[in-house]
Amino acid sequence: MRTRPGDMGPSGERSDRVDFILNLAPHLLNGLSLGFLFALIALGFMLIIGVMELINLAHGSLFALGAYVAMVVIAPTASWGGALGAWYLTQPIAFRYVLALVVAPAIIASVGMLLEVCLRRTYGKDPLYGLLFTFGAAMVIEELIRIVWGSAEKFLQVPQAINGAFLVGGLIYSKYRFFAAASALLLILLVWLFLERTPYGAMIKAGAHDSEMVRALGINLKRLRLFVFGFGTSLAAMAGIIIAPIWGLRPHVGVDAVIPAFLIIVLGGVGSFWGAVIAGVLVGLAVALTAVYVSEWSLLSMYLLLIAVVTFRARGLFGKKSILEV
Amino acid sequence: MTPNRTTGEGLVTRPMLVLFALLLSLPLWIERVGLYQYLGIEIVTWMIYALGFNLLLGYTGLPSFGHGAYFGVGAYAFGLVQLRLVESLWLGLVAGVVAAMVAGLLVAGLISHRRGIYYALMTIACGQVFWFVSVKWHSVTGGEDGLLNIARPTLSLAGFSVSLRANLALYYVAVAVLALTVVGLWRLVHSRFGKALQAIKQNEMRAGFVGYNVWLYKCLVFTLSAGIAGLAGSLFAMAQKSAYPDVMSLHSAGLIVMMTLIGGGFVSFWGPVVGTAVFFLARDLLGAFTETWLLWYGLMFMGIVLFKPEGIVGAWQDLVRRRRAGRGGSAGFLSRFWS
Repeated sequence: MRTRPGDMGPSGERSDRVDFILNLAPHLLNGLSLGFLFALIALGFMLIIGVMELINLAHGSLFALGAYVAMVVIAPTASWGGALGAWYLTQPIAFRYVLALVVAPAIIASVGMLLEVCLRRTYGKDPLYGLLFTFGAAMVIEELIRIVWGSAEKFLQVPQAINGAFLVGGLIYSKYRFFAAASALLLILLVWLFLERTPYGAMIKAGAHDSEMVRALGINLKRLRLFVFGFGTSLAAMAGIIIAPIWGLRPHVGVDAVIPAFLIIVLGGVGSFWGAVIAGVLVGLAVALTAVYVSEWSLLSMYLLLIAVVTFRARGLFGKKSILEV
Repeated sequence: MTPNRTTGEGLVTRPMLVLFALLLSLPLWIERVGLYQYLGIEIVTWMIYALGFNLLLGYTGLPSFGHGAYFGVGAYAFGLVQLRLVESLWLGLVAGVVAAMVAGLLVAGLISHRRGIYYALMTIACGQVFWFVSVKWHSVTGGEDGLLNIARPTLSLAGFSVSLRANLALYYVAVAVLALTVVGLWRLVHSRFGKALQAIKQNEMRAGFVGYNVWLYKCLVFTLSAGIAGLAGSLFAMAQKSAYPDVMSLHSAGLIVMMTLIGGGFVSFWGPVVGTAVFFLARDLLGAFTETWLLWYGLMFMGIVLFKPEGIVGAWQDLVRRRRAGRGGSAGFLSRFWS
């Protein structure tokens, strides 16, 4: 994002401080939108940790896989399906994009549920096994992507309506970035409403609080876990589809996603919804603001932020005691 | 799940002799079985790395998912000494170990009060910091390309000197380092220090109540393990004649976790050694047939985590135990082999 050179105003009349803030404003906005995207990445990861006490290191790979699947849904190879495929390709891209937003998360959710079924063997054992299993899964999925789609960078098409740039008060802003940040915010709010206002949300929260008690109350814990895993991984896919046009698509993009995800969870505190959102925004701001001064090193700021916060607050900003510490 | 401690006596044990004999004779037969000399250096280097890593994972129960960082720091330190200071094997090795230990100590000081999964996540974050710095700090690390043309220095010991340019010479140096590492670690894990580590693994809080300074032990063992990784990293820099950020990535740090676990690091001192050999043989043998070998290796890892977290050595121990039970309980050579 850049400011238009003509709009800086007569510099002599403004105090330096106002200038400084005005110059910083686009970066703050940038950081905020990046923060929402980070929070979106962390959302599904957080749900799974909250309910299952499991770190899903495959989160990033599922994020990438979701974006790759969406890419295929939006622009399948023309020869697929003969006449039907040709007809499909004549449909407006907006339609195919929306279809991808539904189909890809559904496919990823089923992959996630498959992982959960395998993971059942590790319940009740050291949580390390779940971590190791999902780590292996992450590697397998990444290799799978490499085999199917190759290592070269791919691009996810987006509808014309959200492509290009627009002007806000003299600032040039990418439409897609705005769309991505807005949909991230929307998804965050929807998930929050789901957790707070529906009986299923209540079950999930109760499951995160005390899974034994939930079972004692007659709720099918097995099904709840399967559902949460599917839901969490479909959110990963959703995040992947939304973010891929900005980051680009490479097989190892999953690592770029899973690291902010767990960083944000540790920073915000395990088990805190708004903690994760706030941590996401903080990380976004830290990355965007350091990028102003030392663009090469901006990603380092999120690690340093984590280390600084965790040194003083062992459970993150809003964390409660959780099983993961034992 | 704690590695067996029954046969801790003796400086050199039977499995050690078997391993050393196998490794010393390796150059005689490796090419006849269709492999190549350089593979030996790689395997031995990673065995050292894995043994040091298992001190954390298997003996202390501390999962470090960012261990590639210390391997990398060792490699860079070795390379920088050769390129900027002086071509010296000993100085390079010392620099590699010391640099990795300093890096490890910094991280350990920060994370040793954490437990379980939090600990694992912090090791990933810290490991990523080192990786990131190695990629971005062009003036020192050479960026993405890394340090190139690192010389293989001359080994000079007690008035006797030999060039390490040939892979064979470097291989024997690596085997010597491995031998020292094996003997040293074997003593260590059977010392009071090693017992304390195993107590921490079983129950950190209880170990604290018994009177161990858990934080200090965790700090020390992490630093030591990082130092061993740095030693292996130095050998790696010599073998590759270069040092680059790739070994510090999460992917590479994950491979060492996989090797250690698949071999059986949770139940045996020898797990990492077996796991490393299996990994490199799988890479070269499976890799000859299919480009996708890493996929199969990953699937195997997932299967082992679910069905046999004790790994290959664990499966072997079960087999021996079953056979012994069938034979009426006389403890044979086989049962005492993997201790």
